Amino acid sequence: MQRLDQEAHDITTPLTSTSQFIEADDDDLDEESIPGFTHPGLVQSPHSPVPDKGKGRAPEQLAPPSASAAVSGNIGTPVNGSGAPPSNRRSVGGVRVETRYTGTDTLDEPITTTIGRDLLSIYTKLIQVLYPPRNRGNRDLLRDWDLWGPLVLCLMLGILLSMNAPASQSLSVFTSVVVIIALGSLVVTVQAKLLGGRVSFFQGLCVLGYCVAPLNVAALVSTFVHLIYVRAPVALAAWAWCIWASVNFLDGTKIEHQRILLAVYPLLLFYFVLAWMIIIQ
Amino acid sequence: MAYVQIEADERMEEGPERLQFQSFLGTDARQANQESTASRGYFSDRPKSSGFWQLEYYQPYFDVDTKMVIKRCYTTLLPHTSNYLSAHLTPSADLYGPFWTLTTLIFALFLSSSLASSIAAYLTDPKNSSAAVLEYDFGLLSTAVALVYSYGIGVPVVLWLALRYMGVGEWSVIEAVAVWGYGMFVWIPVAFLNINPFPLARWILTGIAFLVSGWFLVANVYPVLATADAKPVRLIIILLVALHVVVAFCFQVLFFGYYPLKELGPKDPIPPPQATATGKP
Repeated sequence: MQRLDQEAHDITTPLTSTSQFIEADDDDLDEESIPGFTHPGLVQSPHSPVPDKGKGRAPEQLAPPSASAAVSGNIGTPVNGSGAPPSNRRSVGGVRVETRYTGTDTLDEPITTTIGRDLLSIYTKLIQVLYPPRNRGNRDLLRDWDLWGPLVLCLMLGILLSMNAPASQSLSVFTSVVVIIALGSLVVTVQAKLLGGRVSFFQGLCVLGYCVAPLNVAALVSTFVHLIYVRAPVALAAWAWCIWASVNFLDGTKIEHQRILLAVYPLLLFYFVLAWMIIIQ
Repeated sequence: MAYVQIEADERMEEGPERLQFQSFLGTDARQANQESTASRGYFSDRPKSSGFWQLEYYQPYFDVDTKMVIKRCYTTLLPHTSNYLSAHLTPSADLYGPFWTLTTLIFALFLSSSLASSIAAYLTDPKNSSAAVLEYDFGLLSTAVALVYSYGIGVPVVLWLALRYMGVGEWSVIEAVAVWGYGMFVWIPVAFLNINPFPLARWILTGIAFLVSGWFLVANVYPVLATADAKPVRLIIILLVALHVVVAFCFQVLFFGYYPLKELGPKDPIPPPQATATGKP
């Protein structure tokens, strides 16, 4: 039913407003609507024959006015008059580039500001993934995926578990945690795509990686509390939290109703193995 | 000399016929799904032709819903499912079930063997509460991965290739993998039941699982072998049964053997599993 509704909606929507439905990996942005920033001479340079390659490249590097105009146009001002989109794609010198407007001039800021902004973006994504009802309408944040957060969380869980493991097992525990998280989130994402879900590949990896965070908390708790009566409920609660957060994400991928269980089951398995490793360590 | 030349000519004529291009990867599955998905509407916007390197190529093999997968799983337990391929794998075999059956089996083996060894250690020494938390050999996890995947995916693919080389068999490689993957389903409940602390019961349960899955494999693979013109091809079934015995024995010894009991030794109220080794069917 959801799918039918979606199709009907698409049919009734006029063509001119399709640019509002910004999909995650949408490659067919209408490039004609973006004002041309490319120098005519630069666009032709890839088409030049091979012996002229050196000559064709020379103007590409020696065309400061048009190039700098494009760059400053990128950073300083929003391109479309109707509000700044999160990402813009255009071709500069025949090469497609994607730029993000961050709101400030990022060229000559101190490096602490840059790192702080990245950490802040990881933090806001973490909050949104772990507590979806907080900003329900604002799913666009996840479109700006990164893999740094998942990497940090995965390594943190591996280190926590291998610290608790006996010395002879610590290396294999670390290896299996990292391999399970990497391969597991890969397989689950590919599998959601194969079941017909509309999900961007890296966005899925990003969300599944951020959903490991509650298990990190459980591992941290079980580092200090060794009672099995405390560790097992904490790990199971973290597992339930992981499932809740990731199912919330899967809700948006428009998988069919009869097969949503097929897409959720691998998630249950994936996170339960990690929770189990926390319990028995 | 002339006779030899004629024979050579015949071979030349035969050559190009044998070297025709054929699609081995389940043409029937893809064609059957073309019609069924059109009615179900899961993949309405799928491109008509896609290469095997694209994800859309594999979507027909994941075109199942929850009820179908569950039905395919539990029908392997019934002894009278002799024509599983034609009766239950319709309209086409899938890859979702086999893959997740095998993966679930790996984690079931991991979970049951780790939990059972904790219980065994607790029964050995109930006074010592820290005995419940013991060193689990994480090498067993990678052993389980290698054993289950190589048996559940490697063996059918090799068998299919060998049969294809001999020109036997009207099945696709997807169907071969599906038979093995769904056939291993019985081991999942048995792995959980084998947490019980009685070695004789564990051996009996393993024997039951061996008989059920072995009967399922024989009943579904032997008709394919029987279509061969050469009678000796049918002897392959003996090889397959021998392989199945080896795998069942590996499961019992590696994962249901409660290896810590040997280390904890004399205070053990339960005899080690080797004492009942003759009870193996």
